[in-house]
Amino acid sequence: MQNSFAAGATAQEAPKAITVNAMPAATWGWLKMNDAEAAVPAHLASAPNAARLEVEVNGKTVNPTRDADAFERALDSAAGRYALAQRLGAGDAAQQPSRQSATPEKELDATALSSYQSGALDLERTYTPARAFKTGMGHEGFGYLSEVSRGPHLIAAPAHASVCATLHVCGAPGAAAVGAVDVVASEGSNVSITIALDSPDEGEGIVGSAVRVLAGKGARVSIACIQTLADGYTALDDTGMFLAEGAQASVRHDVLGAGASFTGLSADLRGDESRATVNVNYLGARSQTRDFNYEITHRGRNTESNISANGVLAGESKKCLRGTIDLTHGCKGSQGTEHETVLLADERVRNKSVPVILCDEDEVAGNHGATIGHIRADQLLYLTCRGISEDAAEELFIRAKLEDAAIAAPSRAARAGIVRLGKRMFDDFEESLGEEIA
Amino acid sequence: MPKKRSQVNDIDRSLYDIRNSEQEAERLSAGLTPQIVREISKRKDEPQWMLDFRLKSLEIYQSMPTPSWGPALDGLDMDNIVTYVKPNTSQQSDWESVPDDIKSTFERLGIPEAERSYLAGVGAQYDSELVYHNMQDTAAKMGIVYSGIEEALREPRWEELIRSKFMTLIPPADHKFAALHGAVWSGGSFVYVPAGVKLDFPLQSYFRLNARGAGQFEHTLIIVEDDADLHFIEGCSAPKYNVANLHAGAVELFVGKRAHLRYSTIENWSKNMYNLNTKRARVDAEGEIEWISGSFGSHVGYLYPMSVLAGRRSRSSFTGITFAGAGQNLDTGCKVVLAAPETSATVETKGISKGGGVQTFRSSVVATPAARDSTVSVSCQSLMLDDISRSDTIPAMDIRAKNVDIGHEATIGRIGDDKVFYLMSRGVSEEEARTMIVNGFAEPVSKELPLEYAVEMNNLIKLEMEGAIG
Repeated sequence: MQNSFAAGATAQEAPKAITVNAMPAATWGWLKMNDAEAAVPAHLASAPNAARLEVEVNGKTVNPTRDADAFERALDSAAGRYALAQRLGAGDAAQQPSRQSATPEKELDATALSSYQSGALDLERTYTPARAFKTGMGHEGFGYLSEVSRGPHLIAAPAHASVCATLHVCGAPGAAAVGAVDVVASEGSNVSITIALDSPDEGEGIVGSAVRVLAGKGARVSIACIQTLADGYTALDDTGMFLAEGAQASVRHDVLGAGASFTGLSADLRGDESRATVNVNYLGARSQTRDFNYEITHRGRNTESNISANGVLAGESKKCLRGTIDLTHGCKGSQGTEHETVLLADERVRNKSVPVILCDEDEVAGNHGATIGHIRADQLLYLTCRGISEDAAEELFIRAKLEDAAIAAPSRAARAGIVRLGKRMFDDFEESLGEEIA
Repeated sequence: MPKKRSQVNDIDRSLYDIRNSEQEAERLSAGLTPQIVREISKRKDEPQWMLDFRLKSLEIYQSMPTPSWGPALDGLDMDNIVTYVKPNTSQQSDWESVPDDIKSTFERLGIPEAERSYLAGVGAQYDSELVYHNMQDTAAKMGIVYSGIEEALREPRWEELIRSKFMTLIPPADHKFAALHGAVWSGGSFVYVPAGVKLDFPLQSYFRLNARGAGQFEHTLIIVEDDADLHFIEGCSAPKYNVANLHAGAVELFVGKRAHLRYSTIENWSKNMYNLNTKRARVDAEGEIEWISGSFGSHVGYLYPMSVLAGRRSRSSFTGITFAGAGQNLDTGCKVVLAAPETSATVETKGISKGGGVQTFRSSVVATPAARDSTVSVSCQSLMLDDISRSDTIPAMDIRAKNVDIGHEATIGRIGDDKVFYLMSRGVSEEEARTMIVNGFAEPVSKELPLEYAVEMNNLIKLEMEGAIG
């Protein structure tokens, strides 16, 4: 999937394509689902003061700091706790030779693993949190965002502290506006982050966020990202997470605007009983494109993940959602669930879904369900009998998606962005929300 | 006390591991060159267009990359593969004329007996050539043609039809091993069922690869005309060697309006086999293709039968089971293209992995803009019998049509304790309970197979209980 950004860019700003959102275990190339290309102008200026971060610790406002290496240091310091032998029981350790029996002399007796499968086995043998850490958008995407953001802000939550942060990134015409945040949540802390990606109605540009999270033992991290860009803008939203024992992450992505949006999230459930929940709500209209990549890797025992995606596609919009639940060797007792519901509100839309379950462990459960469809004939009949035409019915679903996002918006700024977006599509959108919501 | 795991036995392959001498067989040189392709064509006395087709396919093969998304193919070196091995006999129509060693092999595999019992016709290929082909007179009188494809190609009556269909569903440019097939194909069957003819008994082709380090590249072309009905069974096996063997066959099926074709396969190649087979069906209006597929053998398997639903209200169903044991990486599944209104497709697959084996379910469902008011249901269940094996599920869906409903569900896991508990609470022992659950897991596929094949499949996944699984 490609965005159409920079259609009007000058020769000097010729866009370069960066590969993002590559799914870990590829499928057939002809489907063109394995990854996406995001077009970004090669020398787009960074928007000055585009990202504004406000942080409260235990109810007191603090000044955010920048420390580019703090996250890596925290990951490195976690390395010692996660040696391979530690998570394998005696019985498993005895079986390890069977998993490593591939020798060139007996090539046909050894299982001929795919490149992903052999890579996963290598990582299992050499695992450290830092080596395994990645973001959903991948190396190129995160690299681009890091470069444009000029280094991450650090949110360091002390043990058992409560931290509330808001990152507001507002695009500017002809510029790249990116906010980058590293979160190091110490044991038992509670971190809540709201990210609002917004833009003016006019102009073209890049707006994005890059978030890395290390959730310590028993920490709880909640991220809500609401993207309400105008069609001239491209959204790049990238997240990577590492969760220690008992840590919990809850992520909500509302992808409502932007001509092209690319959203990636990767979570390493390394600690036993860690848990990740991802809720994705998206809306595609006109000729917008939506591209997602979610990867949840279960490494600790009794870990749990849940990916839920719910979207409406209208106009000539296109969407691709890759969701991977990776149940690695040793994650006994773990469960991963993924469910997607897509309403196709126009016959010109294009929907691609690749829900992947990778399983290298027996005492686990992986489930996936998907429902993709248009408004059913019986639903349409019901609405038509009440004077609502097919077009009006489709409009209802789009409006409902926006209203739902506005009602659930975690901040006034995010809500304002949704309202502005809604008003662009429906003249009476603000009024229909009611005063107390709008 | 650690929980004791039961063992699921490896398949007893002694039946399939009979190796016959190759002394009297003719082998071309190993490797892949234009000279070898010309030699194959010359031996078959083919029309010029087929030689041109082969040489063009070879060019395509050499220009295409090896697939990078599936199981590793590093152990497959085409320079070491012999693409053509002629057995020491020509095609026969009675078993008594088949050389003793070859006849004995097929007898052990139960082919002549199956022919006597319930088949309307049999084709038996040994290495690169058909050694036996026969069909009952009753089927012939119905106008059904079942012969070697090379034999049919030499008949003016069929040459044009074959030329108009040959490798149109699977063009050489489709993927590297389709191109390889186009270059060196040899043997295989041609079936023509006239309009309105319904054959009550199945036809069967059995492919046996005996030669060490060789490839088998048979081509199956089946045309089922409007309102006709056919059940075709395909079986295959080989003895195990310590070098790689290759199977890159192609199956092209044309199903007419309101016609029905059931294509059943039990794939049981030896564990040194790279099975890179391609199967595809095109279905016209209100026609139906049913794929029944059991994949048990091979070192590496890439197998994804594809249905192209080209006519209004055409249907496809795929029922498959894959069993991957030690040393196997079986990447199987199916593809469906909905290219007409009101089409429907169902996919139900089961995967079992054990002993370090890897099985992957891979699928694609593509609904083109023409596929309005179509439905697809995909269900994929995988069972892990131990924690040194692996099971992956990679389904893809690309929907660009109006009023299309797609339902997809996939589960991976082990035998649930709750199910075992339920059965035990009704007086069934734990071991029996687990055996019943595994058998029940495979049952949706085995019940669709002819009885003899269902028995074979059950033998292939026979369990020897010793404590508890999991």
